Amino acid sequence: MNKEDQIKAINDIINETRTKLKPLSFNLIFWGIFINIMSIIHYSFPSFIQQTYYSAGIYWIFLPMIGMIYMTRWNIKKYKEIGYSTTLGRAIKIIWGVFGFGWLMITAFSLYKGINPVPDILFLLGLVIVMTGMIIKFKPLTIGGMVIFIFIFNLNQNPDQNFLIVNMIGITLGLLIPGILLNRMKTDE
Amino acid sequence: MNKELEKLLFNPVRLKILSFLFTVDSASFKKLIEVSEATKGNISVQIKKLEDAGLIKVRKKFEGNYPLTLCKITSKGKTSFELFFISLKSYETNKTEK
Repeated sequence: MNKEDQIKAINDIINETRTKLKPLSFNLIFWGIFINIMSIIHYSFPSFIQQTYYSAGIYWIFLPMIGMIYMTRWNIKKYKEIGYSTTLGRAIKIIWGVFGFGWLMITAFSLYKGINPVPDILFLLGLVIVMTGMIIKFKPLTIGGMVIFIFIFNLNQNPDQNFLIVNMIGITLGLLIPGILLNRMKTDE
Repeated sequence: MNKELEKLLFNPVRLKILSFLFTVDSASFKKLIEVSEATKGNISVQIKKLEDAGLIKVRKKFEGNYPLTLCKITSKGKTSFELFFISLKSYETNKTEK
């Protein structure tokens, strides 16, 4: 193997390595649909979900936890199929892991203090989405995160709005639509 | 450039393995077979040589009932590969100038 061949071999290998973004898009779509379904159920059957003081909190803690367990298992399986991890992929995993933890903490504290967790969760979600969008250089995701900030601002200005509807619109624009767009993208970055 | 390193990376399988590990965080044995297009036996030997030279780190674990081998480049491996690549590039530049 001469030096030209060595350079070619190195370049070929480097060009072959990409952070696979399809699994991330599936994560975004999954959570977009999951949270919207939860919001629709809560909106449609408020008396059932809010039967007791703690029932809504339990609903918004335990179901997402089941979703997190399912997605963690799915991501591990996907990682095994791909066979390698990149630093970028690891950074994204850590960011979303911290978000998951933050989500549960906010919901638990809000339940304890008797306040609505939606604005805080949306704010954290907006931050994480903007960060992810900027890291993977995918504008729809970054814009989606910024749209969530507008919704939070709007919620603060008009606190009488239905939080579940705001949640559904925010999640659709910030998670679901960017996730679908990312999934339809032909090349992985 | 370090002659030993040059000798080590003269082998295309070892060069491909190190190049790949340089660009990723960690990779499975299966993925390295795919990338290097080498046989299982050959790749085991080459991985061992890279590990002995301190360029990569090998971690073996079990996922359920199946063994999983994960390889990761060390900081020594990163520095060595960078030096190797710079020296290759300077050779290419010199050749073009001539």
